[in-house]
Amino acid sequence: MARKFWEYIVYRLILSIFVILGVVTIVFFVSRVIPSDPAALWVGAHPTKEAIEKAREELHLNEPIIKQYIYYLSSLLHGDLGTSIRTHNPVAQDLKSAFTATFELILVSEFIAIIIGTILGVYSAVKKDSWLDNLTRIVAISGVSLPTFWFGMILQLIFFKYLGILPLAGRVDSVVILEHPLKVITGFYLLDSLITGNLPVFIDALRHIILPAITLAMYPIGLITRQVRSMMIEVLQENYIRTAWAYGIPPRKIYFKYALKNAIAPALITVGLSFAYTLIGAFLVELIFNWPGLGRYAAYSILSMDYPAILGVTIIAAVAYVFINLIVDLIQVYLDPRIEL
Amino acid sequence: MKHKWFGALLVFLMLGVVIAAGCIGGKTTSKPSTTSSPSPKEESQVSNVVIYGYDSEMITLDPSIEFSNSIVTLANVYECLVKYTDKGLEPWLATSWESNENGTEWIFHLRKGVKFHTGNELTAEDVKWSIERTIRMGMGPAFIWDPVESIEIIDKYTIKFKLKYPANLPLIASSAYGAYIMDSKFLSKIGDDKAISDYLNQGHDAGTGPYMIVKYDPKTEVVLKKFDEYWGGWSKDQFDTAIIKIIPDPALREQMVTSGEIHIAKNLPLDDIPKLQQNPNVVIYEEPSFRVLYGMLNTKKPPLNNKLVRKALSYAVPYKDIVNYVLGGHGYVAKGPIPKGMMGYFEDLPTYTYDIERAKQLLNEAGYPNGGFKLVLTYTQGDEAEGKVAEILKAEWQKLGIDVEIRPMNWEQQWALARSDPQNAQDVLLFYWWPTYPTPYDYLFNMFHCENETLFNLCYYCNPTFDKLIDQAVMLEASNPKKAEELYRRAIEILIDDAPAIFFYSPNYIYAVHKSVTGFKAYPAYPEVVFFYELRKK
Repeated sequence: MARKFWEYIVYRLILSIFVILGVVTIVFFVSRVIPSDPAALWVGAHPTKEAIEKAREELHLNEPIIKQYIYYLSSLLHGDLGTSIRTHNPVAQDLKSAFTATFELILVSEFIAIIIGTILGVYSAVKKDSWLDNLTRIVAISGVSLPTFWFGMILQLIFFKYLGILPLAGRVDSVVILEHPLKVITGFYLLDSLITGNLPVFIDALRHIILPAITLAMYPIGLITRQVRSMMIEVLQENYIRTAWAYGIPPRKIYFKYALKNAIAPALITVGLSFAYTLIGAFLVELIFNWPGLGRYAAYSILSMDYPAILGVTIIAAVAYVFINLIVDLIQVYLDPRIEL
Repeated sequence: MKHKWFGALLVFLMLGVVIAAGCIGGKTTSKPSTTSSPSPKEESQVSNVVIYGYDSEMITLDPSIEFSNSIVTLANVYECLVKYTDKGLEPWLATSWESNENGTEWIFHLRKGVKFHTGNELTAEDVKWSIERTIRMGMGPAFIWDPVESIEIIDKYTIKFKLKYPANLPLIASSAYGAYIMDSKFLSKIGDDKAISDYLNQGHDAGTGPYMIVKYDPKTEVVLKKFDEYWGGWSKDQFDTAIIKIIPDPALREQMVTSGEIHIAKNLPLDDIPKLQQNPNVVIYEEPSFRVLYGMLNTKKPPLNNKLVRKALSYAVPYKDIVNYVLGGHGYVAKGPIPKGMMGYFEDLPTYTYDIERAKQLLNEAGYPNGGFKLVLTYTQGDEAEGKVAEILKAEWQKLGIDVEIRPMNWEQQWALARSDPQNAQDVLLFYWWPTYPTPYDYLFNMFHCENETLFNLCYYCNPTFDKLIDQAVMLEASNPKKAEELYRRAIEILIDDAPAIFFYSPNYIYAVHKSVTGFKAYPAYPEVVFFYELRKK
C-alpha cells in the first residue's frame, strides 16, 4: 500500500509537469501572436528608432517565435522567468513579493472561511428547516453568488467610510511601518511582525487584512457551510449519535466532537478546492483593496501585454492549481479507503 | 440559551446587512473619518508626513535611463541645472548662463555650496560626468543632448558646452528626463554604467535634491526623507517625510484623499470633480498641461489621402462640445499642435471650428457628395476620454454619410498597427503627445517631419517646406526667438492647411490636495511631479 501511494504521487507529479508545460506553451504562443510591440513597451513613452531596434535585439524579438519559445523554456529550466517588459525587474523577483502578499491573504481568508463555514454548517444541520437554517442558507447562497467586488466595496463603505474603524486599502500603513520598520523574514507581514515582536505593525497589518480577507472568504464560506450541513445531516442520523444522546453527552460535544469528525472529511475536499478558487478570487479583491499581490500584478501585466510577466503569473497559478488538486486527491485517498489509486 | 453567542453573531450579521442596505439607500453625504485615532505622539509624526497617491508603478531610478513615471521620485531627489516654470527658465543648480551669438557655445555658472546626499560638494566635474554618462549610455531620453559636441570644465563652478549646431541648451538642461545631475565622485567608484544603474535601482540615490530615498518598493511605495543639508534650507512647516504611494485605482485614490489617508491625488474620475470641489476636506488644483490630443489621419490611404476630405473631417468636429462633454470643461480647445504656455502657441491662429455645412461642401468638392465611405478609428483601450471622443466623432461624421468603425486597442497594439503598412493601417488614430522638454520642435518633428520608417509620424505626413521651416526654427530658438517663432508659425499654418491631423484639446492636470497641505503647484514641464519641498503644513 505504502509503495503504491508513493508511486501514485510520483506519477501525478510527472503528469503535472506536462500539464504545466502545456499551459506555458499555450500562453506563450497566444500572448506572442497577439499583435503588439514588446520592444516599444520596453523603451518607454517617446523612444527613438535606435532604442526600439536595440531593445528588439536584446529581447530576441527579431528571431522566429519558435526560437523565442526555446529561449524561454531553456531559461525557465534554469529557474529564470525572464524580465518584465513593463517594470524591467526579473519576473521571479516581482512574483516573489507579490506571491507572499497573495498567499498571506488567502491563508487568512481560508482560516475565516473554515471557522465560519463549519460553525454555520453545523448549526444549520442541527436546526434543520428552522429559521436559523434558512438564514444560513441565505448567507451561503449570497456568499457563492454575490460578486466579490460588490461585496468588497460594501465592506469598504461600511467599515471605512461610515464607521471609520478599518483602513480602506493597502497591506500596512506607510507611516506605521516607517516608525516601526519591519524585518522581513517570511514575507508574511503578520507572521514577521509576530516573530520580531513588532506589535504596532502586527496590529496594523491585521486591521488591513480583515476586509479583503472577509471579502475573499465569502465564496468558500458558502461552499463549506452547505457541504458541512449536508454531511452533518447524514451523520446525525447514525446509530452512534443516537447512542451518544442516550448516554446524556452534552450536545456541543456530540455535534462538534463526534458528529463533525465524521462529517468534516468530505468537507475538507471542498476546502481544498476553494483554495484554488480563492487564488482567482484574490485577483479581483486585490484590485479593490490595492493589495500588492499577484492579482494586481497580473491585471497590469495583461493590460500592457507584458508577456514574460503574464507567463510568470500563469505558471504560478498553474503550479498552485496542480499542487492543490494533488493534495486534495491524496487527502481523499488517505481519508477514504474505498477510493482506489 | 446554549447558543446565546451564536444568536449574537447572527444579530450582528443581520445588523451588518441592515447597515449595508442603509448605505446603498442613497446616503450621499460623507463625514470626514480617519481610520484610527492616533495617539498624540503618532499625530505629531503623521503631520510630518505627506503622501502622494500615484497611479503607476516605478520603472527605474537611474537618471540617465528614466523616461517614464519615476520622475515623480527623481525630481525630488535630483536637480537639473535649470528649471522650467510658468515664468520661463529659472535657475536651479545653475545660477546663471550665457551663450555666444549663434547659440553654439553655452556657459553655466553653478550654485556654490551645494551638497550631494553623500556629503560631497557639487562641482562642474559632476555636471560633465552626469551628462556624458547619459549621452554615452544612449538610452531613454539621451537624445535630448544630441546637439552637444563636447563639455569643458572652466573652473570648479563653471562649465562650458560646445554644440554641433545651435540649440537652446538651457531649455534642454531643464528637461524632466535625462538632465539630472549626479554625484560623480561617489558613483564612479561603484563600477561601470551598468553597475551604477543596478546600484541606483536598488533604491539608492546620489542627488542634491531636498529629499533622499529611504525606501524603494517600485510596486507599492517610495519613501523620501528630508536631506538636512539641502542648499535651500528648511523651515519648520515643511514635511520631513514624503511618500509616493502607488494606488492604481482612481476611485480608491479619491476616497483616500477625501478621508486624509493620502494628501495629494491625481487622475481622479472627471465626473467626480464637481462633487470634490464641494468637499471641505480637499482643495482642487487645476493646471494646464502640455498634453494635446490629436487625431492622426492616414494621409497615405484613400479617401484621407485627399486633403479636402481631411479638411472636411476637421470641420466636422464639435471642439467646444468635446471639451465640455469629455473633459467636463477641464481643459481647452487646441489651437494647432502646440499647447498653451510654450513657444509656437498662437492665440490668434486661424484653426478649424465646427461647421458641418462647410464640411459637406468640401466633401462634395472632393468627389464624395454624400460621404459613402468607411473609416477605421483606433484609440487606447481604457482611456475613457479617448473613448468618448471616438463616439462623438462617429456621431458627427455620420452626418456626412461617413461610417466610422471604432476599435479600442491596447496602446502597443494600435501603435504596432500604425507602424505597419499604411495601406493596412487604421484611418484615424487618437493619440496624446507631451514633450520630453518644452520645445515646439519636439511636437512638430516627432509627429509631422518626414520619416523613412514610421515612428511617431502616424499620419505619414511629409512636406519638405514644412520640414525646412521647423529645422531652421529650432536652431534659432535661443539666439533669435522672435525669428524662430515666426518660422514656427509659418510651418504650423502649412500644417493646418494640409490637415494631416485634427487637434482636439489640451486637458488640464487636476490634483486633489487635502486641506492639511498648502503650497501645491503643478509644473506642466514636469508632468505629474509633486515638488514636496514646496509644500507646507497647514
